[in-house]
Amino acid sequence: MRTALAIARKDLRQRIRDRSAIVVGVIAPVAIAGLMSLAFNGMNSFHFTLGLVELDHGPVAVELAKALDAPQLRQVITVSEVSSTALARAEIKSGYLGAALVIPAGFSAAVTGEHPESLTTLSSNDGSIVGSVTTSIASSFVAQVNADRLAFATALAAGAPRGDAAQLIGVVSKLHIPLQAVQQAVGAHELKVISYYSPGMGVFFLLFTINYASRSFFVDRSQGMIERMRAAPVSPVEILLGKALSVFVYGVVSLATIGVVTTAAFGADWGAPLPAALVGLALVFSVICLTALVIGVARTQRQAEGISSILVFGLALLGGDFFFISSAPSTIKHLALLTPNGWAIRGFTDLATIGGGLGTIVEPVVAILVISAVIGAIALSLARRAVTA
Amino acid sequence: MTFASSPSDIRAPSSLTVSPTPVLECADLTKSFGSRLAVDGVGFRICEGEVYGLLGPNGAGKTTTMKMVCGLLEPDKGTISIAGKQAIGNLEVKFLIGYVPQDVALYPDLTAGENLAFLARLYKLGRRTVAARVDEALELTELSDRRDDRIDSFSGGMKRRLNIAAGLLNHPKLLVLDEPTVGVDPQSRHAILERVQAFGREGLAVVYTTHYMEEAERVCDRVGIIDHGHLIAEGTRRELVAQLGEQDRIELSASGDLERLAEACRSVDGVSSAATADKSVHLVATGGRHLLPAILEAADAAGIEVTSVEVVEPDLEAVFLHLTGTALRE
Repeated sequence: MRTALAIARKDLRQRIRDRSAIVVGVIAPVAIAGLMSLAFNGMNSFHFTLGLVELDHGPVAVELAKALDAPQLRQVITVSEVSSTALARAEIKSGYLGAALVIPAGFSAAVTGEHPESLTTLSSNDGSIVGSVTTSIASSFVAQVNADRLAFATALAAGAPRGDAAQLIGVVSKLHIPLQAVQQAVGAHELKVISYYSPGMGVFFLLFTINYASRSFFVDRSQGMIERMRAAPVSPVEILLGKALSVFVYGVVSLATIGVVTTAAFGADWGAPLPAALVGLALVFSVICLTALVIGVARTQRQAEGISSILVFGLALLGGDFFFISSAPSTIKHLALLTPNGWAIRGFTDLATIGGGLGTIVEPVVAILVISAVIGAIALSLARRAVTA
Repeated sequence: MTFASSPSDIRAPSSLTVSPTPVLECADLTKSFGSRLAVDGVGFRICEGEVYGLLGPNGAGKTTTMKMVCGLLEPDKGTISIAGKQAIGNLEVKFLIGYVPQDVALYPDLTAGENLAFLARLYKLGRRTVAARVDEALELTELSDRRDDRIDSFSGGMKRRLNIAAGLLNHPKLLVLDEPTVGVDPQSRHAILERVQAFGREGLAVVYTTHYMEEAERVCDRVGIIDHGHLIAEGTRRELVAQLGEQDRIELSASGDLERLAEACRSVDGVSSAATADKSVHLVATGGRHLLPAILEAADAAGIEVTSVEVVEPDLEAVFLHLTGTALRE
């Protein structure tokens, strides 16, 4: 153990002396988490300006304008009247408007007539969600109008006199579609973007330790240092243990620093300290096992760099380091559960949303440890061979 | 001189006060890499205070033998005993060995002091002992004033000296030096060779591998000649050279086809071996000086112009040529 500590101490000294360690371990993840938070922060309070091109001026159009001004929609849209479709297009292009809704002339008359008129929504071509929301609002209004029309027609078919049409319209217009979809979050707290991307980036850059540590092993070997250690009374296991210890210390310090800095600077929520620390420790353990796997599989420094890069980016993509895993396709969601980083991010976000203590992270921690144990068992024999090669 | 190599054939050098206690004894060491037999049945014994040279060309099996002695490679066959303890797979024995690898094995981004302290800690020494050994090693290499400088700022010779000092941190009984002067300037080489001789005088058992015949002649009490994985001869310089009898070594420099010149020389009566080396042809011949006219005539007949001729006193180079039919630095 004393020898392993000496190796770990030496590795850490070299790691700290290499300034890129601080950049990769602390500065880059904090900076990128901050940038991602700035970039995606709008997702927490979705809002846009909707242009209303009112070419009808009939009673139904007035009702639609009132509906758009309803208090429930004010958190999402601000309505701005626009005089023409062409102007609306120009303002969408300039970015002033998020989208526009065009009520064509004769729309109110068409509601009670036989020739249908369509509401048109205008939005940019960038696939933005704004267009979908506008269409959804318009569809909702059209569904209500159609429901009113159906009720009106049913009343007439049931024998209501046509002369009472105005009264009938008054009655049916007060009816509303009874079924509504209401969104309710599972967690106690809403997940802030920074609370997702801080652990995401912290975990991503922690995975980079695999690259550094495996490369450092092969550099040691090419410099004859592994051989020199083996010429001393040091077993291959002690050499690997020393390397693992340095990865452990570096990983823990890096993740803890990112946690503290993003919490203090950006208000990220990593959950309660003890459970969050346990998730972090489990993840660092998995990084050690993955490093041993790369050392065991690679034959040269170049191979180690290649394999670890593929591994790091593969895991980061599958585990959801770059995007909200909840919005990923179901295949990716399932694959994320095969990655230790996927489970770690889940653990951190559960702590931030559900809250709670150790009970919240039992499942992620156990999953990470099981995955690590499987990787570690394969890696250990391969890595031992790499030391004695 | 003796042919290798049962321990009973080996005599301690007479010129030094050497205790007969064997520090290293290996017998029948054999190692293959795939189908290539790198070392085949090598055995030798080294006593306290003895500098033993393992001389052979590149690829002869010297480094493989040393790696087996140091526990870096496991032999396919054979035994190794260090200070009376069975060494194969025995981690404890490594406390007795100092290993100086062929290439400088130090961390360039650490200082001299940090490198030595790290390597000393591998021998599970206490903090004070580590500090004392580091001081000692730096003094030995005359690098005390460079303790806090990174290795990558050192000259090649300084790195080599420190590389050797690192092998002494554990105060070994057996010091294994694997070609420690490769790529070293003449001044540093001289210092290293002086130091190696001093190690022997101080009672260390030293194994010194080299393909430089001059180094083996200068520093080694006994020399084992290794070629193609076989230890083909062993003894003191005197014993080995005596095997040549009245033969001399002749070096011919020439322009043109050296192989053809060697072939022509082999046809001369009295020439026992001829091989090309270092842009010249080396011959072993009985009564060298008297044969020169015949040799030059043969060269002339082969259409090759000899530019210089040198008759050299019998040396290890001649022994190697005589035993293997090839030059040491072919």
